[in-house]
Amino acid sequence: MKMAIDNRSDLAELGRSSAAPLRGVKIELGRRYRFAASHRLHTEKLSEEENARMFGKCANPHGHGHNYMLEISVSGDVDPATGMIANLAELDTFVEREVLDVFDHHSLNEDVEAFRNVVPTTENLCIEIFQRLRGFPKAKLERVRVQETTNNSFEYAGENGRVQP
Amino acid sequence: MVLITRKIEFSASHLYNNPALSPEENRRVFGKCNNPHGHGHNYTLEVTVAGEPDPVTGMVLDLKELKEILEREVMQRMDHRFLNYEVAELKGQIPTCENIARVIWELLEPKIKQGRLHRVRLYESADLFADCYRNGAAV
Repeated sequence: MKMAIDNRSDLAELGRSSAAPLRGVKIELGRRYRFAASHRLHTEKLSEEENARMFGKCANPHGHGHNYMLEISVSGDVDPATGMIANLAELDTFVEREVLDVFDHHSLNEDVEAFRNVVPTTENLCIEIFQRLRGFPKAKLERVRVQETTNNSFEYAGENGRVQP
Repeated sequence: MVLITRKIEFSASHLYNNPALSPEENRRVFGKCNNPHGHGHNYTLEVTVAGEPDPVTGMVLDLKELKEILEREVMQRMDHRFLNYEVAELKGQIPTCENIARVIWELLEPKIKQGRLHRVRLYESADLFADCYRNGAAV
């Protein structure tokens, strides 16, 4: 215990000493969230037969659900006072408000305005989530990855973004 | 170019506290992570090396050698340690995922002679991780 207390005084420099940025190296923070939602893949632009052929079981009239996993990556300077790119509580609150509260335990087709006329595939879901989260004020959103089931996942990094490094 | 990834796990304790802030501010900024006696995690580290397979051995680098580097540089330094007090490289820094990943990058980068360190991903839990990776032109 004594050692711990003695060493704690070493931390007095903290907040003043900041590690210089590594040249050519980027740091990102990754965070995963989960939500459950239902959807139906179906479009008015196709006939019922074409919908059935294109989307198969996913076009069943009353929809079905998934446990989605959302992974987001943000970048920015690591604040020497906190050691963080972004305060986790602030990031979580933002994601909860912009995405989880809207999507979790909802029907994507019925309850999310963006999917009234757009098929809620996970590709489109990635793009919609990216648009919703890109306004996070404390760090730069690099990309989102959405896992629809454990066997498939989708990534979007914006128009000019970089997918998984 | 081929990427090769090796995974290891280590367990360590830490706490977040900035002596330049008041106890109330520390509590507000860091929440439970500010609890005075610290807490621990099972960290998972993924180290990715990029390179061309050697025409004779078919390997980007000898995994055995990478395993030894990770044992020496990471496991011996951090496994079953209190990161704030026992890891010299983290002195004066809050041992967040971001900072630990960066320290691991700095430790490994000069030691990897075959191929080139491409990415360090450090998971603090299944839902929180930091990536440190080479930015810019492909290796």
